[in-house]
Amino acid sequence: MEKKEHPAVEKKKISSDRCTVTGKGRWYFPLSDIYETPDNFVILIDMPGVDTENITVDMQSNELIINGEIPQTTYSNEKIIYSEYDTGHYHRHFVISDAVNRSKIEAKMADGALTLILPKAAYVKPRKIEIKTD
Amino acid sequence: MDLIKWDRPDPLDSLTHIQREMSDLLDFLSSTPPKGTYINTEFPPIIVSTSGDNVIVRAEIPGIKVNDLDVQVVNDVLTIKGERKTSIEVSKMTYLRRERPYGTFARAIILPERVDAEKVTASYKNGVLVVTLPKAPESKPKQVIIKKS
Repeated sequence: MEKKEHPAVEKKKISSDRCTVTGKGRWYFPLSDIYETPDNFVILIDMPGVDTENITVDMQSNELIINGEIPQTTYSNEKIIYSEYDTGHYHRHFVISDAVNRSKIEAKMADGALTLILPKAAYVKPRKIEIKTD
Repeated sequence: MDLIKWDRPDPLDSLTHIQREMSDLLDFLSSTPPKGTYINTEFPPIIVSTSGDNVIVRAEIPGIKVNDLDVQVVNDVLTIKGERKTSIEVSKMTYLRRERPYGTFARAIILPERVDAEKVTASYKNGVLVVTLPKAPESKPKQVIIKKS
């Protein structure tokens, strides 16, 4: 039989020795992809269970800070038999370079995945120079 | 003639830098799943719980379209299948960082109780799939009446 490899996911807890975590609940690093297209940088972040209104995306000096909070009252009146993941808030931050047009950053949330579109600044985009012929 | 002061870095500075890099590397190597956590975590991770008359299975599957999900119940086995696709054309982009898994997945779970396969409902919201499986009548507790002799 053909052996298929399943994609595996592991939630990484934000440890308290690296930073100070305040507030209720546990915090996790969500998984994210970053890719580049000719016009944009795109950041995709997995935040399952977070409502769109509970996501904050802040730009602080040159850091893009993303927080996603989940409701705390999920498992009332339920007996958990088997558990493979913990639920908690999400936090991730990225240092943004000058190559990004900071005033035009867009954020979209769909199906528990956040998409951040960071348009490139005009000076980093390739500019085609026309060659004149006499 | 101008005198230029050279700000020569202390050679020991680079040593402390190496030391820091090494301790970061050791931290990284020792941070692989510690004991007690989920070692063989399959995708998607699930939580199974019971409440009253239902068995509830939750799975975190962010970034997938409902049409790409397939949930089936056969006897007491629940199967979740699906495919997570990349959102845009691969030829037009360059990956700078990749952590999220892509591709097809399938998981089969043996349910803790017999369920009524006809009445199973599933919902998908914010990347979390919730399958509610009502327990079959034969697995519900029955009150036994004790007769007085």
